[in-house]
Amino acid sequence: MAMRVPMSWLREYADPPATTSEIAERLSVATCEVERVVRRGVPDADGNLGLFRVGRVLSAEKHPNADRLQLCVVDVGEREPYQIVCGAWNFGAGATVAVALPGARLPNGLTLERRELRGERSEGMILAEDEVDLGTDHSGIMLLPDGLEVGTPLADVLPIVDEVLEVETTGNRPDLLSVYGLAREVAALYDVPLAPWPGVEPERAGDEPVDVRVEDEEGCPRYVGRLFRDVAVAPSPPWLRARVFAAGMRPISNVVDVTNYVMLALGSPLHAFDFETLRGGRVVVRRAAPGETIRTLDGQLRGLDPDDLLIADADGAIAIAGIMGGEETEVSEATRTVLLEAANFEPVSILHTSERLGLRTEASNRWEKGVDPHLAGHAARLASQLLVELAGARWVGETDARAALPERPRVELRPGRASALLGHEVPAERQHAILRRLGFEVDGETVTVPTWRARDVTREADLVEEVARFELDAIPFTLPARRDAIGRLTREQRLRRTVEDVLVGCGLCEAYTPSLVAQDPSPDALRLSLPLSADQSVLRTTLVPSLLAAAERNREVGNEGVALFEIARVYLPTAGEALPRERWHVAGIVEGGYAEAKGVVDTLLETLKIEARVERGTHDLFHPGKTARLPQGWVGEIHPAHGRGWAGFELDLAELAAAAPERVLYEDVVTFPSVRQDLAFVVDEDVPAAALAEAMREAAGELVREVRVFDEYRGEQIGAGKRSLAFRVAFGSPERTLRDEDVTPLREAIVELLARRFGAVLRA
Amino acid sequence: MTDSSDTVAAVDPQALQEEALAAIAAASSLDELDEARVRYLGRRSALKLALREVRDRETGMALNAAREAIEQAVATRQHELERAELDRAIAEERVDVTLPGTPHPRGRLHLVTQVRREVEDIFLGMGYEVVDGREVETTRYLFDALNMPPNHPTRSPLHTFYVGEDTVLRSETSPSQIHTMEAKPPPVYMVSLGRCYRRDTADATHYPIFHQVEGLAVDRGITLADLKGTLRALLRQLFGAEREARFVTHFFPFTEPSVEVLVSCFQCDGDGCPMCRHSGWIEIGGSGMVDPNVLRFVGYDPEEVSGFAFGWGLERIAILRHGLPDIRDLWANDLRFLRQF
Ligand SMILES: [Zn+2]
Repeated sequence: MAMRVPMSWLREYADPPATTSEIAERLSVATCEVERVVRRGVPDADGNLGLFRVGRVLSAEKHPNADRLQLCVVDVGEREPYQIVCGAWNFGAGATVAVALPGARLPNGLTLERRELRGERSEGMILAEDEVDLGTDHSGIMLLPDGLEVGTPLADVLPIVDEVLEVETTGNRPDLLSVYGLAREVAALYDVPLAPWPGVEPERAGDEPVDVRVEDEEGCPRYVGRLFRDVAVAPSPPWLRARVFAAGMRPISNVVDVTNYVMLALGSPLHAFDFETLRGGRVVVRRAAPGETIRTLDGQLRGLDPDDLLIADADGAIAIAGIMGGEETEVSEATRTVLLEAANFEPVSILHTSERLGLRTEASNRWEKGVDPHLAGHAARLASQLLVELAGARWVGETDARAALPERPRVELRPGRASALLGHEVPAERQHAILRRLGFEVDGETVTVPTWRARDVTREADLVEEVARFELDAIPFTLPARRDAIGRLTREQRLRRTVEDVLVGCGLCEAYTPSLVAQDPSPDALRLSLPLSADQSVLRTTLVPSLLAAAERNREVGNEGVALFEIARVYLPTAGEALPRERWHVAGIVEGGYAEAKGVVDTLLETLKIEARVERGTHDLFHPGKTARLPQGWVGEIHPAHGRGWAGFELDLAELAAAAPERVLYEDVVTFPSVRQDLAFVVDEDVPAAALAEAMREAAGELVREVRVFDEYRGEQIGAGKRSLAFRVAFGSPERTLRDEDVTPLREAIVELLARRFGAVLRA
Repeated sequence: MTDSSDTVAAVDPQALQEEALAAIAAASSLDELDEARVRYLGRRSALKLALREVRDRETGMALNAAREAIEQAVATRQHELERAELDRAIAEERVDVTLPGTPHPRGRLHLVTQVRREVEDIFLGMGYEVVDGREVETTRYLFDALNMPPNHPTRSPLHTFYVGEDTVLRSETSPSQIHTMEAKPPPVYMVSLGRCYRRDTADATHYPIFHQVEGLAVDRGITLADLKGTLRALLRQLFGAEREARFVTHFFPFTEPSVEVLVSCFQCDGDGCPMCRHSGWIEIGGSGMVDPNVLRFVGYDPEEVSGFAFGWGLERIAILRHGLPDIRDLWANDLRFLRQF
């Protein structure tokens, strides 16, 4: 989650001699990502800032010609006061206000000019907060504290020009989700002082008991409850509204703003209850009862789960702990007594509840990362000070309910070890100095971790990281020695590349289709327990259907020459095993009939030196009469019910690897040329060509170099139910040139065996 | 034949040769040349007749010299005329050389495969082996072994696809680190590339299936400086020799320290442009020193060996390098898209 950090606020705690962009740069390397720096407020150029002043209203009367306007005379510290026509009525003579003089340029680009309004001169503007980007309120002008000297540059009093860091922090650093925490990093990076914890404990004005009962110490290791009476709920002063607004939150009222302000400042979220609405005047921290509900601040009625941690009063839920308060106990303008909660909640429970409810808030985002329980005390102190100062409250009572808070981890750090891991020598003194600036205590090789890092830093490696992040840019670029390392693809990996290359050479484009499909031919295919969509819910056991869909889509958009292949895993469930067998398959889809797909498979097998062993087969995806089974898979024409004009194949890569010879041995096919003979046989339709070819090899023995079908013929001369198959047979010997008298008996043996086995008749 | 002796007496080899050579030279076609050849070298030619009748050695030698000269001249002239004829013939044989050639169908490797091979080759060159890990994993290998705390958000079924109670689709390639280290003692230098799955709704920059390259080096004395050097080398191979690499702190459960890797923007060279969101740097992916807990899980001694690891998205590399606007194009398999690369 991104956090917005106004630099004017951060610099109150740590103020290095560096520009905002320099600071952002260093934070990005060593601490957390600064996504961007946003400049806000009035333009800061050509003396524009000097035209914004603190002014005092000398007189304010109704405009003589307009009922809705006031005619004001304002002292801005010059010899002559200014006359300003103003549309707001929330002030009168004597008010201290913010003034923009003629010539001033506002954040929205407007330049103020002297002008007449309904016949009266108006020189400048009395400012509302939205006009200088300090808030969104336009119901009245900003009222400044009366003590300010007239003529003071407004920029000295309010951040009318500011830069805001938008930082993205990682889950291990909830301490950075606060302006003070980020300031600590800045102070450490630049080695400048960090201001003491903000907040001075106000005087206690009573000793009333506060009834806090923590029934679940694991979920809530600490609960500081403080009671305030005579609270005057009102808008916050401009400076507070401006900070809360610049940090990305909406100012509401002084009490609510104070809780948000302290959360932003210190990273420990707070909550304020209207104490009068608490039944039994009691706070109980417990898990929800079955069926319990709460109406939260956003007006939603929410059902609770017995795992949810609650803040309750004597009768029922008043807040979902760490996530959102309840509507009934919300602080309102009528509130006079406030119970301030500065607590600590265990992260996992908050995360689960917030995920289950789909409710993420500034507070839950911090709690779910694990907030330092010691922060509750600092937060209570700063919030109390502000409630007393800004809402005139009296602090009359406190309960600090706490379990044993975790010890600060003590971790060994060997500086030599750190340098060795970094590959970069960092002197021990420098390592210790970095750690001390971050709040670690160092005693020899023992390092004590500050409370706000206790979850994150528990081992030497974690301390090494603290050193590393300050040294990242200085660490050199080297390569490992790689003494015994030899880089080589395995045989199967090389075969995969060969298959890819062959198919590309055959004109097929490689496709990537999702491994998750809507349905799979196998009823046992694995299913996701919580798929994103029904379309991607099953782990496929075959690639062809996905490829076929991709091919059909290509045809629909008018692409020509569609030919696709894919190499991917399929997931074959195995009985009794939790994990499926994962096999690499290669599949292809081409336009045309059986022969087109078979040709691709033949080329592939030939490249890999695998003998094609093809039989008639059946497969649901393929045409029943045009499907072949191989030991490595399937090839066939796609069943017309699934798609017209396509043929495809799917082969198992491990089976291909097993069938392919690891190396090919030399055979002399050059010295003595082959003798070729063309033989055509008439056979019954159902005699497969492969069976004839195999029989030819059997009959002629090892002098056969090649048998290839080159023609198929059907016709009247041959007769119904018959076909003629023409073969080219090459004979050859590695030892001599074959003569006619060598070949003739081979040819006769072939004719004889084919006649005997298949009734084949040699055509003249 | 009756007057043959007269003819023989009349032959002057010198004059005959001159006459023949002139006729041969004058022949302007193969037919004319053949006529000349018959006239001067044919069976009934004066020269042949004289040779047949000749008695004295001197005349014989003179006649033979003339014959050889004439034969030579015929051969030379014949070659010249044939060549001229060929030239004439091919002068008319012209093609429009700008016409396309006979097309041969050819496919393409998918862009992600092209990137995958490139990354594999870079690491093969640096002595790494390529490991194919499984995609359906146990939670033990995807989470426990990688030092993910019990309540880490990625364990949630909202982030990771579950197939069974303890089986998941891997959300990163890291489990193959664990399998590799369990299978053998150090040193280990490996990369593993393949499909990963996250429960992200598909949009221009997300797809629930994506490809990662995981790298791991574990050996005595592996340092963070080695990580920086190796990954900078990879970035320069992928994005250009003049690129710079930048390493910024980050957090991952299975590495400590953890660093995010950035490459100097190859679009604007660091001046700032939309591609690098005006920072001059582009995020590439995560990396870090292998957490000691991970080494202990596989039975390695973190006091003896150390290591670095990284896990980057192949799609991200492809998108950055080739300027793809939408990651979903990589899964649409439209041939117009596939054939571009
Ligand atoms: Zn750029």
